[in-house]
Amino acid sequence: MSASTEFANPMVWVVEGILVFFILFKILSARRGAQLFIRRIPGLTVLDEAVGRATEMGKPILYLPGLSGLGIVGLQAMAILSHVVRHAAKYGTRVVVALADALLYTVAEEVTKDAYATEGYPERFVPDDVRFLSERQFAFASGVVGIQHREQVASAFYFGDFFAESLIIAENGQMVGAIQVAGTPQTTQVPFFLVACDYTIIGDEYYAASAYLSREPTLLGSLVGQDYGKLLLIGLVLLGTVFATVSALAPDISAVPYLRKMFLDFFPRGL
Amino acid sequence: MGFLSRLFEPKHGLALLWMILAALVVGGIVIAALCALPSRYRKWVVVGVTFVAGLFYSIEFLIPRENYLTARKPLVADLSIVIGSFAVLIGITNLFQIHWKSLSRMKQGMWYNGLAFFVSFFAILTTGFLKDSVSGSNGEVFAGAFDILFTGFLTSLNAATFSLVAFYIVSAAYRSFRIRSAESALLMIAAAIVMLALVPVGALLTDWLPKTGFFSIFRIERMGYWILTSPNMAAQRAMALGIAVGSLAMGLRIWLSLEKGSFFDRQL
Repeated sequence: MSASTEFANPMVWVVEGILVFFILFKILSARRGAQLFIRRIPGLTVLDEAVGRATEMGKPILYLPGLSGLGIVGLQAMAILSHVVRHAAKYGTRVVVALADALLYTVAEEVTKDAYATEGYPERFVPDDVRFLSERQFAFASGVVGIQHREQVASAFYFGDFFAESLIIAENGQMVGAIQVAGTPQTTQVPFFLVACDYTIIGDEYYAASAYLSREPTLLGSLVGQDYGKLLLIGLVLLGTVFATVSALAPDISAVPYLRKMFLDFFPRGL
Repeated sequence: MGFLSRLFEPKHGLALLWMILAALVVGGIVIAALCALPSRYRKWVVVGVTFVAGLFYSIEFLIPRENYLTARKPLVADLSIVIGSFAVLIGITNLFQIHWKSLSRMKQGMWYNGLAFFVSFFAILTTGFLKDSVSGSNGEVFAGAFDILFTGFLTSLNAATFSLVAFYIVSAAYRSFRIRSAESALLMIAAAIVMLALVPVGALLTDWLPKTGFFSIFRIERMGYWILTSPNMAAQRAMALGIAVGSLAMGLRIWLSLEKGSFFDRQL
């Protein structure tokens, strides 16, 4: 077993294998027509309401994927952007997208253009509304604040990687009276969004967004597979807790320290 | 490996110029070829490249020791950087377009931003190039000018913007600590304990309680520590586990090109 965390140890093969199996199995069942239930996520349900508010007020919507690059987080932000733009396109509401990554900017431009075309309004796409601001964190934040105040945005969506600039952006959104919905996998920024935004998507709800919004069977299946995966991880956490507790309370039982050591060997720190 | 490694070695002078030109030509040919492909074939190119790239990193990680692929990781990372550098040009083009429009049309409330952008962009670009290419006392002048622009302006402006967070924290804290429900009351109490536990005056408030025994758990520094390391840590770890599984599922869907229903199926 490798002590290094740079490479997989045998338990990674087992756990990841089971997680991948759950996800692919549920995707296949969903594709075969199995009915899958997912709970209501208020932060995602309110997306359409926020678009409607901007339409009523005749003001634009602001969409930010934060500092995300072209990775998993950024692509998920683009999937949500597609939904928001398609909904806004129906009502002729402008969506201003500001980006901090040049690579993701090219994707965002295509996604926005494609969303307008899908809804049958390709002429409503304004190239200047998708803007690359800066790759520098606080230059990007300053640019966003400028857009919020100049455009007096009615709704703002923050989905992606956010860091220290999150509070600056969300508080300025509050100042202009925008309804704000945020979601980030950066757990350190969740408290800032919770206090400054109207709705916040927490933790893995961020990755549930595309499935929740599109109701596409493949994505729904993947989401339910994820839940099975989480149950497996909860089971492992409980098992580790039991070993640790029993070995502390009854160290004299010879099997307990052995089992605990085996558990720690299989799940070294950083797994 | 040998040829590719040599290709990505740092170049200087004329060799660098030739490499830039060659990269532009090759890049242009690849982009033109992709654009010329009918969309149904383009889809399979994208699917294939995504799968092979994902497979490289997966296999490299899953083999439990340094392996044949590990040595090639920096090379693949270099390829990603090269692709990313093309996008920087597109990003700069977008900045130019937006700011040029606002400046040339003297847009109300915008034109001076455009002017500031062009002045600062060309000032830092020129001094940045000249400080490295001009030698002697003139080079020092350009290096000094670059330092004023970078450290004097950019770094200071960054720090000033960051410092605004302190003010926003106060207004955000005021809003979140207003007691409007049982949850906000709980948040307020927990936050007050944690904040008091981190300052000496907090510890002084419960200093009269014994340092050991049952009642010691009510000392404010112990309560603050418990909140941070037990309920707070449990919630953080729960989120981290959910995010890990979520990102695994998302990564799997992208790797196997299963991410349908958002924009992927239509874009290809």
